[in-house]
Amino acid sequence: MIGFDGAALKALVVEDNPNFSLLIRSVLLAIGVRSIEEATDGAAALNGMKTVTPDLVIVDWRMVPMNGVDFAKQVRVGPDSPNPFVPIIMVSGYTEPSLVAAARDVGVNEFMAKPISARILTARIESVFLRPRPFVRAHSYFGPDRRRKRVPRAGEERRLQQEPVIYPGIFPMNTRP
Amino acid sequence: MSDDEVEFITPPNKLQSKVTMSAGGVDPATLARAEAVIASLQGNYLQWVEDDLTNLQGAYERAMSDPSNRRVHISEIFRIAHDVKGQGGSFGYQLMTVIATYLCRMVEKIENPGPEHMAVIKLHIDALRLVITQRMEGTGGAAGESLVKGLEAVIGKISR
Repeated sequence: MIGFDGAALKALVVEDNPNFSLLIRSVLLAIGVRSIEEATDGAAALNGMKTVTPDLVIVDWRMVPMNGVDFAKQVRVGPDSPNPFVPIIMVSGYTEPSLVAAARDVGVNEFMAKPISARILTARIESVFLRPRPFVRAHSYFGPDRRRKRVPRAGEERRLQQEPVIYPGIFPMNTRP
Repeated sequence: MSDDEVEFITPPNKLQSKVTMSAGGVDPATLARAEAVIASLQGNYLQWVEDDLTNLQGAYERAMSDPSNRRVHISEIFRIAHDVKGQGGSFGYQLMTVIATYLCRMVEKIENPGPEHMAVIKLHIDALRLVITQRMEGTGGAAGESLVKGLEAVIGKISR
């Protein structure tokens, strides 16, 4: 097939600004995503994920009472997370490197700076689906592999030389990071 | 798990049955349709931004009339300007994003907001209003360039 068929995909848009939410929803609809749920903050989204079971979450950074970074952290390592592996694309007007790094360090898959365009949003979605990264569990991190490129690193390699563990389903409770 | 251990996990891929995507990703026709949808929202944007500009002006006026709570009102100016910054470029008003970015950066640095800061904030709000009133799409051409240079010069003065 040529292109993208996301008709069966369930997306969750977490955004407190209705204008941004409409913008993202419109792009998703235009590329064929039919099932789009919305929440206006991280806490509502976490609660909604228990029934919606999204395949993709697009979340804004700045929201109250729970912002996007805290939401992503809860999804990845929270004790009640409905799906620690769900792809998360974060949208933000804050683009300082330290803030982008903070999003990366809580397990966000992709980061997208506002103002967004259809091209940028679809590029991030493509990245999630065409180039999925293995997850990494370390002492202080659980989420998509943060090393996108295989480059030699100075110092000792801390990663175990092993084949990836393939989980057949959602995390068994006793293996949750 | 010790501090040094790192484990790789291949997540369950439920998406394979739900999403199909060719190696080239979203095809150009679909992308063009998505861009057309955003363009069709430009009329909505012009309504939304009117509300933002009204709210910006209101927050500015409160900051002037209520100096004891000026920081609170300036925080509100930042919040609204941040939304303006994030939206303009999506709807063909890149100049709104540029000016609102300047306003956000300037406001972030203010420690003790005085009359000179308020004057520069007002200039930015007026510039944003001008862009919308004159429908200065994109970067606004020569007029837009002149507007931005003027704001840069004023910001430079209060930053010294």
